[in-house]
Amino acid sequence: MLKKKLNLWHVLLIIIILGAIFPILFMVSNSFKTLRDSYGTMLNLIPLHPTFENYSLLNKQVNLLGLTWNTFLMATMVTVGKLLTGLLTAYAFRSYQFKGKMLIYLIFVSTIFVPFTIVMIPNYLVISKLNLLNNIIGVALPQLCDATGIMIFLKTMEKIPNSLIDAAKIDNIPNRKIFFNIVVPILKPSIVSVGAIFFINSWNEYVWPTLILKDKSSFTLPLALQNYISSEGGTNFPLAMALSTIMVVLPLIIYLIFQKYILNSISNSGLK
Amino acid sequence: MSESNATIELKGISKNFKKNTIIDGLDLFVNAGEFLVLLGPSGCGKSTTLRMIAGLEEPSSGKVLIDSQDRNQTKDDGHTIAMVFQDYALYPNMTVYQNLEYALKVHKVPSKNRTKLIENVLDTLNLTKYRDRLPSQLSGGQKQRVAVGRGMVKKSKIFLLDEPLSNIDVQLREKARDEIQKLHVTNNQTIVYVTHDQLEAMALGDRIAVMNQGIIQMIDIPENIYNQPTNLFVAKFIGTPQINVIEVSLKSNQLVLDETPIMQIQKPGLGADSYYLGIRPESLRCSKTKQTDLSFTVTVENIIDYGRFVQLLLVMENSHHLKAIVNNNEFKVNEKIFVTLEQTTSILFDLTTEKNLYWGNYE
Repeated sequence: MLKKKLNLWHVLLIIIILGAIFPILFMVSNSFKTLRDSYGTMLNLIPLHPTFENYSLLNKQVNLLGLTWNTFLMATMVTVGKLLTGLLTAYAFRSYQFKGKMLIYLIFVSTIFVPFTIVMIPNYLVISKLNLLNNIIGVALPQLCDATGIMIFLKTMEKIPNSLIDAAKIDNIPNRKIFFNIVVPILKPSIVSVGAIFFINSWNEYVWPTLILKDKSSFTLPLALQNYISSEGGTNFPLAMALSTIMVVLPLIIYLIFQKYILNSISNSGLK
Repeated sequence: MSESNATIELKGISKNFKKNTIIDGLDLFVNAGEFLVLLGPSGCGKSTTLRMIAGLEEPSSGKVLIDSQDRNQTKDDGHTIAMVFQDYALYPNMTVYQNLEYALKVHKVPSKNRTKLIENVLDTLNLTKYRDRLPSQLSGGQKQRVAVGRGMVKKSKIFLLDEPLSNIDVQLREKARDEIQKLHVTNNQTIVYVTHDQLEAMALGDRIAVMNQGIIQMIDIPENIYNQPTNLFVAKFIGTPQINVIEVSLKSNQLVLDETPIMQIQKPGLGADSYYLGIRPESLRCSKTKQTDLSFTVTVENIIDYGRFVQLLLVMENSHHLKAIVNNNEFKVNEKIFVTLEQTTSILFDLTTEKNLYWGNYE
């Protein structure tokens, strides 16, 4: 391996990797530093006096389990919702001919270009009328359908040969079974990777949950984190880093579990 | 689940895609237990016809009757029709065994019967050792057998095959063809088989329907398709090397090519007019010496030795080309030789309608 000469590309790649990995190492290391050390030797990646103090303090101050559960619940609802609606809509576009199909599809896709700031207020009003403020369901509800998923799944489904669906139709397999037993398994790699992206995005979401969730007991992790880098708790830097570390752990585990699929879906559509 | 067969009848079927007419007023009757081959060039509507029989495509007008019942009004329990697709259409997420099992499972065939059925089919097709493989781990020939097997486990009355052999190696094709024929003999299902390969059609079909531009040109037993094609299209489509077609005129009971009489003809009622004369390459008698008054000279332009036979490409004096098949080649390139046409097997076509005028020894 070392026999190969380091060329300019390698150097560039190494710089990029360091740039990507440094913030994470920085976050983890500072979460194990005392408050004093973190201000004195902030850039030092190895804590001088390693301590679990921040984590135990955090555990006393906030309900970590509750926060994680809220975030997990919301992200799961949103992910499952987006995947299910996306897959079903894409399948309808894939399999049925109906009037105005192209127009409806274009309208769906164009919603991708509508910035969140525009739909924020109307969505808020609807959620408040539905009495879902301060409720995780209120956060999840407007996000259960997403045109990105529809678009990606439709593109993948178009690669499924018609004969495969025809073969099932000849055997009188009901449409519902064709969808769940044939189409979904074929799409598994792209479902997993799109799902992972949906989940991580939703997990990290901040603005929309802030609007809906006011009660601390319903907070998600990013909302709780905000409290440590703003006025309320004072900026306790190692504490904020500890919470950040906790926040990253679950998505990281999910990513590692499904990494195989995520990488697969890039190189392989699962067919052939 | 009975191992019976069914008749298929197409009545005045038309199919339009947008403004294009793919099939125009097609009538077809397939007898129970018959092996019918739909043969034609690509785009002739043969696959569309098959898909309409299968119910995957609705005819724009006309009716599809299965056992004299309108297929739209009878509820298909999934056991009437089985179909094999050109690309096999195996479910990529299921193993060989699961592919065969899936439809039976959905239709709630008891698992004991299921296992027995599938194992029988796997055994017949020599697939038992591949039962747990995914389609992506199979060769083309194996995939094709699984596709046929998936149709077989249904024990359907009708078996439709859409160019099932076109994606496998030539070496395997003949074996697979024999297997399909064997299946027909043992199961006696009604089979409709689509292909563009005339050899496959001739080898397999009880009858062949030759299609072109959405119309059945001729439907008959293979022998008649080859020897008595109804029109020029069928004559040219069947047979390799292709039939020779030359334009001749009739003068006092002789067919004349550029003032040279080449054939005697006795059919009454033919006017002194121009015709197309079709002669199969094997009906050309080539010789170094003049055999009869009607022999004419040609030059050998090219010789291809196929091993089994030798094909001569001949140029007539009017620079028209003829192909001849001889068993033993005694000729050389650029040699001038004599050709005599065999009268009994040659076919005369009308110049405008291109229809067979049925003359000579045909009844």
